[in-house]
Amino acid sequence: MIEIKNIYKSFEQKAVLKNISKVFNKGETNLIIGRSGSGKTVLLKAIVGLHEVDKGQILYDNRDFTSMNQKLRKKLRQEMGMVFQGGALFDSLTVEENVRFPLDMFSELTPGEKQKQVDFCLERVNISNANQLYPSEISGGMQKRVAIARAIVLNPKYLFCDEPNSGLDPETSMVIDELIHSITVDLQITTIINTHDMNSVMEIGDNILFISEGEMCWEGNRKEILHAENQKLQEFVFANKQYQRIRDDKIEENK
Amino acid sequence: MNILNQTGKYFVLLLKVFSKPEKHSLYVRQTFNEIDNLGVKSFGIVAVISIFMGGITTLQVAYNLTNPLLPTYLIGLGNRDTLILEFSSTILALIMAGKIGSNITSEIGSMKVTEQIDSLEIMGVNSASYLILPKIIAVVMMFPLLYIFSVFFGLIGGMIVGPAVGAVTVTDYLNGIQYLFNPYYVTYSLIKCLVFGFLIASIAAFFGYTVEGGAFDVGSASTRAVVNTNIMILIWDLILTQLLL
Repeated sequence: MIEIKNIYKSFEQKAVLKNISKVFNKGETNLIIGRSGSGKTVLLKAIVGLHEVDKGQILYDNRDFTSMNQKLRKKLRQEMGMVFQGGALFDSLTVEENVRFPLDMFSELTPGEKQKQVDFCLERVNISNANQLYPSEISGGMQKRVAIARAIVLNPKYLFCDEPNSGLDPETSMVIDELIHSITVDLQITTIINTHDMNSVMEIGDNILFISEGEMCWEGNRKEILHAENQKLQEFVFANKQYQRIRDDKIEENK
Repeated sequence: MNILNQTGKYFVLLLKVFSKPEKHSLYVRQTFNEIDNLGVKSFGIVAVISIFMGGITTLQVAYNLTNPLLPTYLIGLGNRDTLILEFSSTILALIMAGKIGSNITSEIGSMKVTEQIDSLEIMGVNSASYLILPKIIAVVMMFPLLYIFSVFFGLIGGMIVGPAVGAVTVTDYLNGIQYLFNPYYVTYSLIKCLVFGFLIASIAAFFGYTVEGGAFDVGSASTRAVVNTNIMILIWDLILTQLLL
C-alpha cells in the first residue's frame, strides 16, 4: 500500500500539485487520471522520488519515503518497477539484456537462474523470439511489454506506469491493460497507472484519482465514475459522445 | 553568475560520479565497452590525422630552414618535438573533444530525454556513476595510448612527405628524429594527456547529463560541450606548460 498525504509541489513558484492525499491499495490497479498538463506525471514522479515534494508525506507500507536518506531510498527503489511513457529501454542492450539488467545489478543469482527469471518474465508478457533484438527493432507495443517485463523482473512490491498506452492502437492498449491488471492481481503488488485513456479507466480502474490543475477533484472506481457528479470529471470523461452513450446504456442496464 | 552555477553543478555531479559503485563487475564490463567504443575505435582517425599533421609540419619546417648551413636532419628534429610537445597532445585533444566529447554528450543526453536515466534511478542505480565513471576511466586510460600512437604516425607522415618532396633524405630524417631527444618531453605530454582525457570525458558527460528538452537541446548541448571542453583544454595546456616545463 502506498499513501500520499497533503502533497504540494511547485516549479518556480508555480504550484503544480496542491494538497493531494490518497491511499493506493495493494492488489488493485490504481489510476491517476486527468487532462494533459493536469499534474499527473509530476505526481507520479513525486511518488517515486524523481521530483522532491515541497510539503507532504509519501508512505510505502508505512515507511516514510520523504524523510529517508539517499541510501534508504535506493534500497526501497529496488522494490519498485516503473514503465515509462516511451518504454525507456536501454538502446544499447538487447531485449534480453534489458530485462536481465536489474538482476545483474542487484541480485546474487547464478547466470542460469537469471536466465530462467528473464525467460519467465518475457513469457509472462507474451514476448517470444525477440530476445536478441534491440529496442529499435521491435514495435512500440512490444517495447512496452519488454518494459513491463523489466519492471517486474525483481518481483517488485510497487509498480508504476506512466501512460502505458500512449502511442498504441486500441487493441494493443487493451492487451497492455490486461497484462498490467493480471500482474497486479497475481503478484499482489501495488500498481499506480497514470493515464488519460478512458478505455483503461473503464476496463481496469479499481481505484481512481482524478486531478485537475494540480488539485484532487474526485476519487472512486470505474463503476462510480459513470455516476459521478463532479463537473470537471464529467467534462473529462464524457468529452467523447461515445462515453456519453456508454454511460446512458449502463444506467439503463442498472435499472 | 551562470558560470559559477554551472561550475558548482559540475563538481556536484563529479561527487556523484565518484561514489561507491553498486556492483564492481558491471562497472568493469562497462569500462571495457567504453574503452572499445571511445578509445579503440578512435585509432583509425588518429592515424589519418597524425600522418597529415606530421607531413605538413615537416613541410613547414623545411620551408623555414632556408639557410644552407643548417643541416637537413633538423627537419626531423623539428617535426618530432612539435608532435611530442604540442600537436599529438593538445591538437589531438581538441580534435578528440569533437569526436569523443560529442559522442558522450549526445549518448547521455539522448538517454536523459528518453527517460532512460530516470529508469536507472528508479531501479536504485546511481545513474551518474554507472554512465559517466566508465567513460572517464576509459578516456583517461586510452588518451596517453592515442598520444603515443599519434606521435608514431606523425613521424611516419614526416618520413613519407619529407623525402617525397625532396626536402630531406630518409637517413637524415631518421637521424633528426633521434637527435637530442629529451624523454621528459614525453612525460610532460603524457601528464597533459591524462588531464585532457579527464576534461573531455567529464565536461561532455556533464553537458549530456544536465540536458533538458528534446533532440534539438541534445544537439545544442553537444556543441556547448565541445566549445567548453576546447576552452578548458587550452587553459589547462597553458597552466601545465608553465608548471611542468
